[in-house]
Amino acid sequence: MKQLSAKSLRGETRMAYALLAPAALFIAIFMIYPVIYVVLMSLFRTNKLGILQNFVWFENFIKQFQKKVFWVVTGRSLLWTVLAVLAKTVLGMVIALCLNTEFKGRKFARLLFIIPWASSVPISSMLWKWVYDHEFGLLNHTLMRLGIMSNPPVWTGDPFWSFFACLWVDVWIGVPFMALVFLAGMQSVSRDLYESAEVDGVGAWGKFFYITVPSIKQIIFIATLLSSLWTFNDFNTIYILTKGGPAGATDILITSIYTNGFEWLRFSDAAVMAVVTFIVLMVVSIVYARVYFRGEDEAL
Amino acid sequence: MKKVFLVVALVLLLVTSVAFGAGQKEAAKPKVTVFWALYDGLTEEYRANLQSAFMKEYPNIDLDIVPIPWDNVYDKLTTAMAGGNPPELCVIGTRWALELLALDAIEPPEKYVSKATMDNIFDGAKEAYIGGTLWGLPIAAGARVLAINTDLTDRVPNTMEELREYALEAQRRTGKYGLVMPGRKHTELTDFLYYFYSNGGDFFEVKPDGTFGKCTVNSDAGVKALEFMVRLATQDKVVPAGYLSQTRMEAHPVFYAGDAAYVMIGAWADSSLEQAGAKFGVKYAQIPGFAGKSSAPLMVTDSLAFFKDAKYKEEAGIFVDFFYRDEWKAKFDELIGFPPVTKSAATLPQFQTPLYKALGDAAANAKPIPLVEGFAEMTDVVWDAVVMAYLGQKTPKRALDDAAREIDAIVASYE
Repeated sequence: MKQLSAKSLRGETRMAYALLAPAALFIAIFMIYPVIYVVLMSLFRTNKLGILQNFVWFENFIKQFQKKVFWVVTGRSLLWTVLAVLAKTVLGMVIALCLNTEFKGRKFARLLFIIPWASSVPISSMLWKWVYDHEFGLLNHTLMRLGIMSNPPVWTGDPFWSFFACLWVDVWIGVPFMALVFLAGMQSVSRDLYESAEVDGVGAWGKFFYITVPSIKQIIFIATLLSSLWTFNDFNTIYILTKGGPAGATDILITSIYTNGFEWLRFSDAAVMAVVTFIVLMVVSIVYARVYFRGEDEAL
Repeated sequence: MKKVFLVVALVLLLVTSVAFGAGQKEAAKPKVTVFWALYDGLTEEYRANLQSAFMKEYPNIDLDIVPIPWDNVYDKLTTAMAGGNPPELCVIGTRWALELLALDAIEPPEKYVSKATMDNIFDGAKEAYIGGTLWGLPIAAGARVLAINTDLTDRVPNTMEELREYALEAQRRTGKYGLVMPGRKHTELTDFLYYFYSNGGDFFEVKPDGTFGKCTVNSDAGVKALEFMVRLATQDKVVPAGYLSQTRMEAHPVFYAGDAAYVMIGAWADSSLEQAGAKFGVKYAQIPGFAGKSSAPLMVTDSLAFFKDAKYKEEAGIFVDFFYRDEWKAKFDELIGFPPVTKSAATLPQFQTPLYKALGDAAANAKPIPLVEGFAEMTDVVWDAVVMAYLGQKTPKRALDDAAREIDAIVASYE
């Protein structure tokens, strides 16, 4: 019996390898190879097609780190990510709490909330581009008609407002995901806990902070991690709304990588920025993973 | 277990053989890919008709005309080349030819296009001559002119200073905008060059041997031109309030809607106005020089280039011969509004209008964009300088001094 199990196990292992092989091959070709190539590009001088020319060690990194604009763009990427993820987390939590209560039309409301996330990002961004249009846009038209502003700002042409205009679109697109994930977590929390708390006279805030948040802590961690990775790499929103302008005011690492690589054909510079992005996101992921698994161990 | 392996192996074999089979079937019929820039006025109907008419006449060739907005053509082309999959043909700004040549990416069209087609193209339109070889066939060539909405003003300025005065006067009188001026970075540097060239500016100093020296966008001509632009936008407020968020493609519709008196524009003006359903009167004049300077409108030419690493260049040549027939090329010129580049089309009655007259006059004094490697990056640098001056982050002088320094560094990086 024991022998048979071992044989069967070996067979299953082989089967598992056979089934995983195509996916592993796909990942190796389309993910691991490009990552390795980008790292190589950052260490080589490249021609305008990104073909490696001569090995220059860390010269490309040193040159890039000496540019003020690189640090400005990196700082802006971090600010962009922190603000957007924070806004998405807070708004997502508020929406999830609302959708977690019983009211008529709740299913319809949930459906409505998912639309921005279900729509393609470029389409949502183009829609907002029209909304922000200074001459014909819905936002300025509404603000002026309601007498809220007589001279509204040029949302995508002003350095200050353009950053927040892009940020809002990213938040608008990303909030439904957060809300749905939080909602799923909230629905798994036992009703008994809330009922006991009510018996003990705990108010709404108390229930939220002492029951809901600790119960879905792990979910919040995973959702914010994923959101951080996506937000840091959100190319579509900025590229469509402002292309990183005006005068670089909305340029973040991912848009700068594109500009350097595919507009200016400076692939080594783009690769350096891509490697920096990779390292930043890896560090964030590792820190998150450590905290997450420590939390799981404690829970056990 | 063996049975399972057998099934998996058979499925894989089947999938691979089907894929290879499909590939061989595809390979039997050459496919010509054309990156097709969407000029203002060019319709989807025309593109589809051209594609189907060609494939009807040449059923053994597949043709894929890929429509791409102008501002994305360069990005699309570079990504395709970097991916090792260039198109057979692409519409390029002629100024990109040097860059593409440095990459050894393009081939002379003469190798694939018939002599009859080559001879039918005006020699003067063949701007893509580098080192004595023509690297792209002219597809659109035209100088820029000043379009005037005659329902708002009938005054034709002789100098830039007069243009400002008349635009202000039209704005005061009608409540519409005086002048359209895009203030958001886009692929072309045209909007700065209109003023810069009108003030006698040159992008680079020219050495005695004809090569380019230091960047001179920060010359007196450049600084005065930018100061003038900033004054129009921020003090006179004679341009649309949202100019900072408008690229050329977004700004020109303000004129098409009848909401502005003047716009500096290309040959596509008539067809775009027609497509926008404009009901107001329009007349054309030369983009004026600054006081004491002659008019020097910007000349922009675009070319159709053959890509070296593409598979079906012979077939692409057949398509070019087909496309350059009057039946298609003249219609193309008419739609985008550019003057014809072929001798046979130039005699057609539809090209004898006031706009074409103005374009012909403008061409006499027009100045092209310099053919220099890295111009896409330089365009971004100057655009950023212009925007920073608009925003008051830098004075025009400082913005252009910094830009000139950056451009010199870009030039040095290619040496």
